[in-house]
Amino acid sequence: MTGMDAILHGGLQGYLVVALLLFAIGLASVLLRRTLLLQFMGVELMLNAANVALLAFARYHGGDLQGTVFYLFIIAVAACEAAVGLALIIGLYRHRDTTDSDRAASLKQ
Amino acid sequence: MFLAFALITLLGALGMLLQKNIIVAGLFMVASFFGVAGLFVLLGNPVAAALQIIVYTGAILVLVLFVIMMLNSHEEEPAETSRPIQRWVSVVLSLALAAGAVKLVLASKGLQQLAEKGAPVPQGVTLQGVGAVLFANHLLGFEVAGLMLLAAMVGAVALTKRNL
Repeated sequence: MTGMDAILHGGLQGYLVVALLLFAIGLASVLLRRTLLLQFMGVELMLNAANVALLAFARYHGGDLQGTVFYLFIIAVAACEAAVGLALIIGLYRHRDTTDSDRAASLKQ
Repeated sequence: MFLAFALITLLGALGMLLQKNIIVAGLFMVASFFGVAGLFVLLGNPVAAALQIIVYTGAILVLVLFVIMMLNSHEEEPAETSRPIQRWVSVVLSLALAAGAVKLVLASKGLQQLAEKGAPVPQGVTLQGVGAVLFANHLLGFEVAGLMLLAAMVGAVALTKRNL
């Protein structure tokens, strides 16, 4: 399958293109949105993009099981990140009464 | 099928990026995660698809929506200072990254060779196989992941509780 054909019918390149576009959208929402919660969701999208690429390569490497094992570890890291990150956002909201990352630019109270 | 799930994933993500209301943005994110789970099924990996739905669309989404409701700020706050140059630079950088990466993927000879070599459908991933590899080769990593989850749990409680 050549490039365009792979994108339309789901070859390796198709999955990689989806992963890359997902990563770019996640990056754009981290850069463009000011609400911390939306930036956090953008980070989750970027982690998911990495997962898609990883599992696509694992499938085209003869169904390698190591890919799924590392996907498991990525999910564990994402869960930790979600718990601590959201706790930090709640802490910030208590101190500053805002979830806008521009307004949290200074370390002073 | 591939195109349908890819479109669900990308349109969900795009909706999340453009949505003003944070709750609706969270729901768009779930649509995107469901699309990713569908892609995992198409990759012959039902284990990853099930994990994706349980952890992302189940646990992480509930956490996010719970925090949104708790904070009671559903709309993006008006900007303190508008920074048009920064916004345009971010848009251009993201678009350039996406276009450049897609161009590289489509032009790559090595990827095409890999796609042709791996084209025959391999044995589907089973939970049994994943478990065997996990506990045979990555036992230390598994234990560290467990410890890290415990640390994150304690940290989250310590950060949110007012007076311990």
